[in-house]
Amino acid sequence: MSSTLVIEGLRVEVAGKEVLKGFDLSMKSGEVHVIMGPNGSGKSTLAHALSGRPGYKVLGGSVVLDGVGLLALSPTERARHGLFLAMQHPMEVPGVRPIDLLIAAGADATNLRQRMSDEAERVELRTEVLDRFVNVDLSGGERKRAEMVQLGILRPKFAMLDEIDSGLDVDALGAVARRLSSATTEWNCGVLAITHFRRLLQELTPTKIHVMTDGRVVATDGPELSEILERDGYEPFRHAKS
Amino acid sequence: MNTFADSALSFISERPDAQDRRRAWSSFEEAGLPTTSDEVWRYAPLNDLSLDAFTVNSFPNEHTDSEFASRLCERAGLVVRVVDGFCVDAGSTPDGVRVELVENASSLSGTSMLKRYESDTFALLNKALTPATTVVSIGDGVNVEKPIVIVNSTSGSSSFSSTQIKLGRSSSATVVEYFEGGADALVAPLSEYEIGDNASLQLITYQRLSQSAWHVARTTGFLHRDARLRQAVIGIGGHYNRSRNDAEMLDLGAENELRTTFLGSGSQVHDFRTHQFHMAPRTRSTLLSKGAVADESRSVYTGLIEIEKGAKRTDARQTNHNLLLSPHAHADSVPNLDIRENDVVCAHASSVGPLDELQRWYLESRGVTRSDAERLMIQGFFYEMLTALPHELAALVEQDVTSALALVNVVAP
Repeated sequence: MSSTLVIEGLRVEVAGKEVLKGFDLSMKSGEVHVIMGPNGSGKSTLAHALSGRPGYKVLGGSVVLDGVGLLALSPTERARHGLFLAMQHPMEVPGVRPIDLLIAAGADATNLRQRMSDEAERVELRTEVLDRFVNVDLSGGERKRAEMVQLGILRPKFAMLDEIDSGLDVDALGAVARRLSSATTEWNCGVLAITHFRRLLQELTPTKIHVMTDGRVVATDGPELSEILERDGYEPFRHAKS
Repeated sequence: MNTFADSALSFISERPDAQDRRRAWSSFEEAGLPTTSDEVWRYAPLNDLSLDAFTVNSFPNEHTDSEFASRLCERAGLVVRVVDGFCVDAGSTPDGVRVELVENASSLSGTSMLKRYESDTFALLNKALTPATTVVSIGDGVNVEKPIVIVNSTSGSSSFSSTQIKLGRSSSATVVEYFEGGADALVAPLSEYEIGDNASLQLITYQRLSQSAWHVARTTGFLHRDARLRQAVIGIGGHYNRSRNDAEMLDLGAENELRTTFLGSGSQVHDFRTHQFHMAPRTRSTLLSKGAVADESRSVYTGLIEIEKGAKRTDARQTNHNLLLSPHAHADSVPNLDIRENDVVCAHASSVGPLDELQRWYLESRGVTRSDAERLMIQGFFYEMLTALPHELAALVEQDVTSALALVNVVAP
């Protein structure tokens, strides 16, 4: 089944400052969309606002997943409608084991521990990490791989990845990108990857690249856009749209 | 018999060591019950306390183990049963372990009980009114493999149990002191542990009394050279739950790890006091106290690290975290240091606050409901403490703590 995620005119305020100023994006199942942009352009704000992070105030616009408006829903309901956020800095949750988190999140408990191990191996995460408390004492790279384990178990319709490549070495980045790439065919997962590095795109072929500056999308094009960015940087895009 | 004093004096007159008990009783009467103007009692709901609500038992009442107690006993190598303060079953002891009942026992500190506890009202009551001290001795070099479980239940309206555990040189054991029952009762146990040179005691004090019990407990560990005491104290029941846990590191290299945990609900008061006394060089103590208070309950943690002059290279750490689960709950944290030596490492930290909002959001963003996220986080707060329990008991205790947690309301402050 094909799903759609449509974001229109999204405006979000954080700490009294408007950071997203009318963000638009539309994507379908199985597609890979990449959002690139300089620091401070609002990329992470987008990811957090879509997941309902406390302190992120929506001023206007809409986010619709398969006809359901997400902005009126709780973070739990958004996730249950098929939206997943892999965080840049996943929180430590002391005393909570990954398997208990996944069961509470609605994962099928059948063979769950084994499936978690299989997912861990796909992203080269030491399986003993799965028996520790969620993200506690894990390195930055291990946390991101652990997020991929959750993704593989929860099988969301759309996965947002906030700076998934930061803190990962080249090998780990390859493993994570390959996992995401196969998710797009395994269950037709739509991937929305936020990054400001090109290297993720070597393993994960984008359907579309969106350039974001000052809280909105200023250019959208195919994979070739990343080469232009590589050559010219973000400066030519800063005033592309006003 | 009308009053607590009548029943107490009648009980005392029938004991072989009545004279010593009368002395303890007189000291208790002279001191009287504490009042909230005493700094160390200022958080206790003493206005609700009238000793005449209790009577002293001349013999133990009927008692049957709870389901949890039975399951705990299944895992034990030795079960000792204490009912209303009376040791009613000393079990069949494994090799190298002895259980005796001693009237008029001395304190393991080497002095008399009266001298040792002269300024502690409830310990004096215990000295006067305990049927006998249950003394568990573990021989030199003996490693007791399966846990020793002491099931301490209260069916009557009072219990003054006295327990001493003695570990010989290079021995090791795991001991569980489990408390249950105690509806509308005064439960005032006194325990001492002596850990010989290079011996190791893992101790779990699990208090699951009725929510209407008055629980005033005191434990003291005496640690000799290179001795190790790892103690976990979990307090869930009680109208008033006071738990004082002290350790004296008497000789070189002694090491104490103490984890205290409590869960407050309703109008409970949890009052935890600790005293880590470093009397010799290169001794170590690690103390972690964590508690959660819900509804209108309150807690106080007061911890003293004392380092004697000459106790060089001592390492003492104290941490206290409190979780507020309701806007009407309250937690106080009072760390104290008394250091008379320069060449030491000493640290303390404390915090009081609600569940972490971002951790909760993280769980919610995976599809966990708010109430499940809160339940997982509260369980997690306690599970972290239970990681120190021995493997064969951890799952059982974790399950039991979970069932207590399931009854707690969480209201965002």
